[in-house]
Amino acid sequence: MVLLSNLPDSGSRRRLLVVCLCIIIAGFGLVIYNLFNIQIRQGDFYQQRAIAQQLRTTPITANRGTIYDRNGNTLAVSATVWTVLFSPHDITDEQAVVLADGMSEILGVDREFVIEKAKNKKNYYQIVKKKVEKETADKVIAFAAEHEIAGVSLQEDSKRYYPYGSLGSSVLGFVNEENQGAYGIESYYNNTLSGTPGKVVAAKNAWGTDMPFSYQEMYAAQNGNSLVLTLDETIQHMLDKHLETAVVEHKVRNRAAGIILDVKTGEILGMTTKPDFDPNAAYEIADPVMKAAVEALRGNDEEYQKALNEARFQQWNNKCISEPYEPGSVFKIITLASGLEVGAVVPSNHFYCPGFYMVGNVKKGCWKTVGHGDQDLAAAVRNSCNPAFMMVGQRIGGERFYDYFSNFGLTETTGVDLPGEAIGAYHTKKALTNPNDYENSLTSSSFGQTFKVTPLQLVTAVAAAVNGGTLYEPHIVKQILDPDGNIVQTIEPKAKRQVVSAETSAIVCQMLETVVTEGSGKNAYIPGYRIGGKTGTSEKIDQYNKTGEMRNVLSFVGIAPMDDPQVACLVMLDEPTLVNEYGSTIAAPVVGSILADVLPYLGMEKVYTQEELEKLDVYVESQVGKVAHDAQSYYTREGLNAKIIGGGGTVLSQIPAAGSTVPKGSTIMLYTDESAESDMVTVPDVVGKGGLVTNKLILNSGLNIKITGVGIENENAVAAKQSLSAGTQVARGTVITVDFADTTLRDSF
Amino acid sequence: MESRTTARRASIKRAKGNIDLTFLVLVLTLLVCGLVLMFSASYAYAYYYEGNSFHYITRQLVWAGLGLGAMAFLSTWDYHIWHRFAWLAFGVTVVMLVIVYFMPERNGAHRWIFIAGQQFQPTEIAKFSVVLLFSHMISLNHDKMKTFQYGILPYGIILVIYAGLIIFEPHLSATILIMGLGVVLIFVGGASLKWFGLGMAGGVSLAAVAMMIPSINERAMYRINVWKDPFIDPKVAGFQTIQSLYAIGSGGLMGAGIGNSRQKYLFLPEPQNDFVFAIICEELGFVGAVLIILLFALLICRGFMIAVKARDRFGMLLATGLTAQVGIQTVLNIAVVTNTIPNTGISLPFFSYGGSALSMLLAQMGIILSISRQTALEKE
Repeated sequence: MVLLSNLPDSGSRRRLLVVCLCIIIAGFGLVIYNLFNIQIRQGDFYQQRAIAQQLRTTPITANRGTIYDRNGNTLAVSATVWTVLFSPHDITDEQAVVLADGMSEILGVDREFVIEKAKNKKNYYQIVKKKVEKETADKVIAFAAEHEIAGVSLQEDSKRYYPYGSLGSSVLGFVNEENQGAYGIESYYNNTLSGTPGKVVAAKNAWGTDMPFSYQEMYAAQNGNSLVLTLDETIQHMLDKHLETAVVEHKVRNRAAGIILDVKTGEILGMTTKPDFDPNAAYEIADPVMKAAVEALRGNDEEYQKALNEARFQQWNNKCISEPYEPGSVFKIITLASGLEVGAVVPSNHFYCPGFYMVGNVKKGCWKTVGHGDQDLAAAVRNSCNPAFMMVGQRIGGERFYDYFSNFGLTETTGVDLPGEAIGAYHTKKALTNPNDYENSLTSSSFGQTFKVTPLQLVTAVAAAVNGGTLYEPHIVKQILDPDGNIVQTIEPKAKRQVVSAETSAIVCQMLETVVTEGSGKNAYIPGYRIGGKTGTSEKIDQYNKTGEMRNVLSFVGIAPMDDPQVACLVMLDEPTLVNEYGSTIAAPVVGSILADVLPYLGMEKVYTQEELEKLDVYVESQVGKVAHDAQSYYTREGLNAKIIGGGGTVLSQIPAAGSTVPKGSTIMLYTDESAESDMVTVPDVVGKGGLVTNKLILNSGLNIKITGVGIENENAVAAKQSLSAGTQVARGTVITVDFADTTLRDSF
Repeated sequence: MESRTTARRASIKRAKGNIDLTFLVLVLTLLVCGLVLMFSASYAYAYYYEGNSFHYITRQLVWAGLGLGAMAFLSTWDYHIWHRFAWLAFGVTVVMLVIVYFMPERNGAHRWIFIAGQQFQPTEIAKFSVVLLFSHMISLNHDKMKTFQYGILPYGIILVIYAGLIIFEPHLSATILIMGLGVVLIFVGGASLKWFGLGMAGGVSLAAVAMMIPSINERAMYRINVWKDPFIDPKVAGFQTIQSLYAIGSGGLMGAGIGNSRQKYLFLPEPQNDFVFAIICEELGFVGAVLIILLFALLICRGFMIAVKARDRFGMLLATGLTAQVGIQTVLNIAVVTNTIPNTGISLPFFSYGGSALSMLLAQMGIILSISRQTALEKE
């Protein structure tokens, strides 16, 4: 029952329409407009921010490339290791205790540490230990499975191994915790070696856990490329061995550097700094003395950390490229080549050395204070005469001197593919041409003082001077291989420029050879090889000015073979402790020892001169069981003496025994009775004695002598070392090796 | 007063005619969409917080079933019976709004009554009771609606009672909604337009006075500043809004596809509730969101059409109020998730989780359907 008056009127209907339109047009219109703004116009902005909070990116490590030496020996390789992780949300308190026992035993970590990690729910994952080897990682998983603990997992990682330990470490460098190259080749070629990491992109929720309704996308990793170096592991080993011995023997305070360079290509065959470090544990201080010094500061955190960092940087530093020094007389090679090339000097020029040279009003002395007297150019080189080279320098003149200095690459980095290459300090052309500044600049520069170059700069320049005149850019990487071993790139020798003519180079070679055969470099002489070289001693003037203590840098560059130079070897000993008068000759024998190993390895044939042949060793064949007189005549034909002892007719034993080598003229003891065992003699003390005296002493004792070093024909030769120490009882006829050194061989600065 | 008596005497009889099928289809379509999309939005949240992905949807389905039952039942009643319950509903509402203050606080507000393991907001009842009471009163006094004494004053007093009780729960959005419904009914009921002008001026000056109180001013200004740029407080006040904008923005034109929202993985707080529409935008994109809004628009248009064609003034007002409630609430909800207005708790009809509210809504749709039986509409 409804009243008619209660029917809706048209006014109400109009108002109803207004309400409807308000809601639909104004209300819905406004929100749709805003939706359009948010979703379409600013959609990207919000979407990017949303994605940033929604997705978790887990990197997949790319395998780092391998580093090989030139013969395919592995110098650095990555292997898979594991990171042990806890997810504390899945570990109960009781399980944490079980884990503490198990993990402390398997991983060798503290129990408290394990418990803390297992209960730390701040992050979804807790890293318990990194770089765990597979065997250990397997044990961890087995333990977790056995105790039914869900919250233990492994994550793949990789670890860098350097199978040869410290061999060439300053060149190879090392990788940091994140497997990124931190130094050396590892750093310089980091991008090539490291490849491109892949990733797994997974959706996560706001708690950071992966979702049960998973969204996951994987981008595969691109493994890194491998490197083939110009380094030769065997050569590097020879270089390392001899340099290491020298550092110990001469108590080198500020480390030593050594480089072996292929002079025809600029390839670095060996490069080392000693003492260095083990890249398998690069952050450990390898040198026990230095380590002790750093450890002594423990307790004082700030100083300890500072000392530790300094020690680390020092042991990592590649001295060959990063520490410029004053090259001293080795640099005379460059002065010589420049002078010959510009025609300032010719081999027939003579130089008179009264023991000094006047530069303006300043009297500059020769290292040999009595003077070298009259000498031709080759003799000046042999004598390493400073006044002669001051004259050569002045004849060249500052302008041309600078130009050649620069052309030899000494005003620029060598461009070697290693990080941290330093550039030396040198005189400007203006200083070199300033007559008032000659004393400090041009004349001193002529014999290698008052400027600095790196060992690599110097050996590169020397290589140019002897290889026919071409300056090469030294390099250490020969090839880049893809992960499957295919060659991606071969690095060809890069000739920078022709610095001097082939003729000039040939003359330089001739003169350098006489340095070793007759001059200051005799200590590097090796019978059968034609070796050239130049010594260098420089005084650390800047340090003298600071501390009042004069310390030296001793160096020698050896080149072989001189008729067609192949390799140059530079050894530089920074601050050796000169304990005796032979001190200044120590670098040359190191190079001699290195080349004696390296040259046969490189397949270079020994070619003996007639003179050398006469001094050759004889291989002792067995004559045991032979008639004593037949044996004696056999040895005589071989150039040996033989002495029959005892009354029997047959040789029962002989000393030296069959299979040894002895110098020609040695005496073989042929025993025809049982007296051999009791026939003992005492080794005499010959160190410090002259050549003839030494020879007589040894022979008179009933022993044989083998002479090494400069030889006893040299009137200045003095025995420096004997192979068996004085007072030892040995069998008659035993061979004693005596090393002779030339005591007068001192070098200028 | 004669008419009132007549109305009371109106017998309860089975309504004649058929219900409006268009309206019913729209209601069911929205309900199905709402259930499906609420499930999609809620399952991750349910999984992490309740340990069961189906936690919310099963409850919502039960309440939807109850609601459909109530809708079917009420659609068969003659709506005039509601005249009898108008003042009763008012009384019950006021009592419950007082009881709320003795209930435990949750999220810093007294909005819920907890009883027998269930909970509900009396404001849901209040929304209905204000519509019912105003429809009842206006239909009886429509001839005096132009006067202040009959056309404005009683309604003003009732609204002040409601608003006064609700605003201190505090529940600003419900207060606004109820005031809005009251105003719509007075407006459609024929009150003189000058009062709306005066009312608006009064409201503005009241707000101005309130803003002069430092503590209110400070809080209000902060809310306004966070509204203007939610990134000034991205962790607390602006957090939900920012996460909502991320969800909506991520949807783009076509959306991530149903079920593929990532913001629902605990980034957007309570994605099944007031912010369900943000997840819908992320999954269905701009196109899907506009389609949903279009469904609401159609429902509202149809509701108002039923009101226009209603047999009498009471039916018209009741249908108007109930439809306007859906319309205003939908606009306010979407305006909140899109940061068109400051963040305030208001749910989306048919979509937001909240069982009792859904049942209540469907029951009210049943009343509209019962009104539609007595219209001159063509019932397709």
